[in-house]
Amino acid sequence: MAKIIGGIGTSHVPTIGVAYDKGKQDDPAWAPLFKGYKPVADWLAEKKPDALVFFYNDHATTFFFDLYPTFALGIGAQFEIADEGAGKRPLPPMRGNVDLSIHIAESLVNDEFDITTFQDRPIDHGCASPLPLLWPHAPDWPGVIVPIAINVLQFPIPTAKRCYKLGQALRRAIESYPEDLKVVVVGTGGLSHQVHGERAGFNNEEWDMEFLDLFVKNPEELTKLRHADYIRRGGAESVEQIMWLAMRGALEGEIRELHRNYYLATTTAMTVTLYEPA
Amino acid sequence: MNPQLAGLEDLEGTYVFDLHTSNRAMKLNRFLWKMIGTEARAHFSKDPENAMTEAGLSDTEKDLVRRQDWIGLIRAGASFFVLEKFARVAQRTNLEVYAMMRGETFDEFMATRRVPECR
Ligand SMILES: [Fe+2]
Repeated sequence: MAKIIGGIGTSHVPTIGVAYDKGKQDDPAWAPLFKGYKPVADWLAEKKPDALVFFYNDHATTFFFDLYPTFALGIGAQFEIADEGAGKRPLPPMRGNVDLSIHIAESLVNDEFDITTFQDRPIDHGCASPLPLLWPHAPDWPGVIVPIAINVLQFPIPTAKRCYKLGQALRRAIESYPEDLKVVVVGTGGLSHQVHGERAGFNNEEWDMEFLDLFVKNPEELTKLRHADYIRRGGAESVEQIMWLAMRGALEGEIRELHRNYYLATTTAMTVTLYEPA
Repeated sequence: MNPQLAGLEDLEGTYVFDLHTSNRAMKLNRFLWKMIGTEARAHFSKDPENAMTEAGLSDTEKDLVRRQDWIGLIRAGASFFVLEKFARVAQRTNLEVYAMMRGETFDEFMATRRVPECR
């Protein structure tokens, strides 16, 4: 049976991808960010999971607002990394496991989580920005990803509680997969930031710390918050932190935080955390 | 009113992108979204006026695009996430766009940041 061995929380700021491609790993302004991923990358190299399930959001790249899925699961042997307006990134396509993705789709739908599926579509920085900081990509990625996109762009978006429940349903899906795979669940996005309007540039470090603490000790509290609460406390686009709660739902019960790196340099509180079941 | 969003009415400088906005500004958003395609980018660079007319933009929207009025485009209903695709074509970084939306010069805005060199 497949098993969830841990969870990762990570920002997916597009400029992380740009800085990575430009080789800014040792640039003093960027080093605190890249160094902060090292313990997580080391943990992954040691534990060697077969799959990373990514709760991430599309940024109107894979999908447009004329047909925007609330939850969508990617199925394919590989996923191209999208051109988001600045051209293609020098990375190999991400790898997928068709059988695993299909099993998860079947399990979720039979569990009354009627998820949309997509195939043969490129995926944007929601997944691709943090991935090379977690896994090496040369000569190829060491495992597969299962991309699960959550709408956090066009309201109505799912509630925090619904995201948590999706994580719980994902766990049932993983634990009913017959192969002995090791799976890590990744929740992406945040932390505090706002990228539109005159309020762009808003941050709230105090709230970010409270979020990270509640995330471990009392996630239930976070599932009760409304979108308006997240927007007010952490900035409009920080509402995407509800995707971390999907990861938390998959790790239901007590967890230990093994690592935390928080780097608020310009506009987004770039964060990476690592959790194991306690 | 979506109860998940109630209470944001007085939050300044924030424009929630919901289905009302999306429906109202569908053509504008589709036009901006298409900038992820190499052909659309080439077409816009060569012949911006026709590209905008073909996309069905209103005169007001065309004017906002011509002037790269980022906050104006947001107020007209653009989602930031398609606006940033157009920013790539306009050779503007997101940090520059944030500064302009706030009505600040780039240097003014960066002076408010903790690590201004992080770009
Ligand atoms: Fe995002």
